[in-house]
Amino acid sequence: MITCKVCSNQEYDGVLFCGECGSQLVHAPDNNVNTFIFPSQVRGLEIDISNTIPKKLLENRTFILYYPEAEEMLNIPDQGEFTIGRFVDGQVITPDVDLNPYEGFDKGVSRLHATIRISPDKTKIHVIDLGSANGSSINGYEIPANSEVPLNHGDVLSLGKFNLRVILPKELK
Amino acid sequence: MPDKTDFYNRLNIDTDASEDAIKKAYRLAVRKTHPDVNRNEGATQLFLNIQEAYKILSDPNKKGAYDSGREPHQAVPTVHTAFEYSQETLSSVDEPQIIYSLVDVVSTQAEKETTDLPLNISFVLDNSTSMAGARLEILKTAIKEIILELGEDDSISVISFNDRAKVLISSQSQPSSALLDSSINDLFAEGGTEIFQGLEAAFEEIRKKPLPDFVNHIILITDGHTYGDEENCITLAKSAAELDIGISGLGIGIEWNDEFIDNLCALTGGQCRFIEELNQVKDILAYSISSLKEAFSRRISLEITPAPGVKMLSAFRLLPEALPLPHQYEFSLGILKKDQPHRVLFEFMIDPIPEEIDQVVIASGEFILKRNPRDYTIPFTLDRPLVRESDDEVPPPTEIFRAISHLTFYRLQEKAQQDVASGNPGTAFQRLINLSSHLMAKGEESLAKIAMNEADYIKSHNNFSPTGKKQLKYGTIRLLLPDKT
Repeated sequence: MITCKVCSNQEYDGVLFCGECGSQLVHAPDNNVNTFIFPSQVRGLEIDISNTIPKKLLENRTFILYYPEAEEMLNIPDQGEFTIGRFVDGQVITPDVDLNPYEGFDKGVSRLHATIRISPDKTKIHVIDLGSANGSSINGYEIPANSEVPLNHGDVLSLGKFNLRVILPKELK
Repeated sequence: MPDKTDFYNRLNIDTDASEDAIKKAYRLAVRKTHPDVNRNEGATQLFLNIQEAYKILSDPNKKGAYDSGREPHQAVPTVHTAFEYSQETLSSVDEPQIIYSLVDVVSTQAEKETTDLPLNISFVLDNSTSMAGARLEILKTAIKEIILELGEDDSISVISFNDRAKVLISSQSQPSSALLDSSINDLFAEGGTEIFQGLEAAFEEIRKKPLPDFVNHIILITDGHTYGDEENCITLAKSAAELDIGISGLGIGIEWNDEFIDNLCALTGGQCRFIEELNQVKDILAYSISSLKEAFSRRISLEITPAPGVKMLSAFRLLPEALPLPHQYEFSLGILKKDQPHRVLFEFMIDPIPEEIDQVVIASGEFILKRNPRDYTIPFTLDRPLVRESDDEVPPPTEIFRAISHLTFYRLQEKAQQDVASGNPGTAFQRLINLSSHLMAKGEESLAKIAMNEADYIKSHNNFSPTGKKQLKYGTIRLLLPDKT
């Protein structure tokens, strides 16, 4: 039997592609087919925000969080790490980015929902769900609480039901 | 009947068969006629005849002498077969293993003077209510133009159907422009869609001609679901296949029942096509006709018998057009085109192989070509040597690897459909995401996007979108074609 390295599905000897996830199981004669493409790269292809966000605003930014419903980008602080949530009166620790103006409450955003962390060299971006009530997901997959999960260009980051698009301006066409 | 005194006919091979092919044909013939196996009357004589033929043909000197004294007009048509496997050898493992095999048959017809086979075609037009407006008008114009381009030997009939069928033009050659106008122009859309009504009428019209003299084909153009008469249609398609009548389906828009029409076409070796945009109607019709025009034989079918201990898991026709074949052991492959290979991809599962075997027979089969004045049978055997120990992994040949990799795409979308049907939209979502990345890696950007959009659609609707489902299915089928045309 052959075990698929991607999804652990078992196939009989002689099978060339995993029947469950389609991954290649054998050494191939054609080198082009081995490249793995992240799903978010496909998603990223469709992104066109040129009508809503002026190019000038995107200059010098590593990444933006785009809110498609309002066709706006979130105002995020220029620092290596910041939190997203909802500001509530009397709250001791307040989030850096407040989603109240975007009906964050109705969409199930917690007071302190998630942290976004940018690597010092600004090449990697991670999200950490802070044990929010309604959880977070990336491209429809729920992510575990309190662990770093990488974000890629095109990813849809959902905080509860609040959907944001991760956009790296340098990846835009 | 073939001349059984001819040595080539005795072995059922071409006059230009290679030494290897002669040896293979001989082994196969012996296996069928050896007195130990075949106790039929006359088998012994047949066996001796084969020995005699092989003795001469296997010796280059004697073969040359035989060839020079042979009557040339006995030549059988030059039809070649070729085989490719996903691996050169089978291994002796104590669990089942999978092997894929590409089987090609091509008629390299040196005799270019062979006349084209005339067509016997029935167009079956859906004129149910949903066809109203541009759909029906464009179809009417296209049909008239196509018919006027057909030759004087071709026979044509036109049927319209909704709840009932109407013969607009009964089987005839070169109907005049005036007749086409008067019988087709007034057609308007009303009523439901009962495909069986249309097919039955077309079947009748087609059978008015002597079938063996023609390439017989029904072209069904519909935009809707048929209800309750699916069984009748399938039964009709089976009888059509037996009479060498092909059925092709052209589905307009997104409402038509692709599973059903695919099935109908696959049974007869026809082709199902998806017309997304109305302006494609004429081109797709013209393409359907021109590919029928290239027929060398009015029908080719393939029979395959897996050896004991071997299961055939699936069969897929790749050429001349990609089509999943129904799970059976005898396939109608439609017409055999001149100089164009027919290619079928088989997937076999082989039970653990006893160590003492050197050459493992996977399956035997034959192509059956129907062409007047006689039919031809081209037998073949699929086999691979067994190796006991082997460390070096030989990569599969490029062509078959490519075919299987694209087949994987088709399978993924098929499985995603099954996931949705069995109430697992989450799994379907995951599968389409995977499909999307694989497509992207292959440079199929637009299909990758469709898969991604479809995944998102399933996430929110728990079902496929009607357009996306067909786009993915026919898109992945299209990828299976070697040149993707």
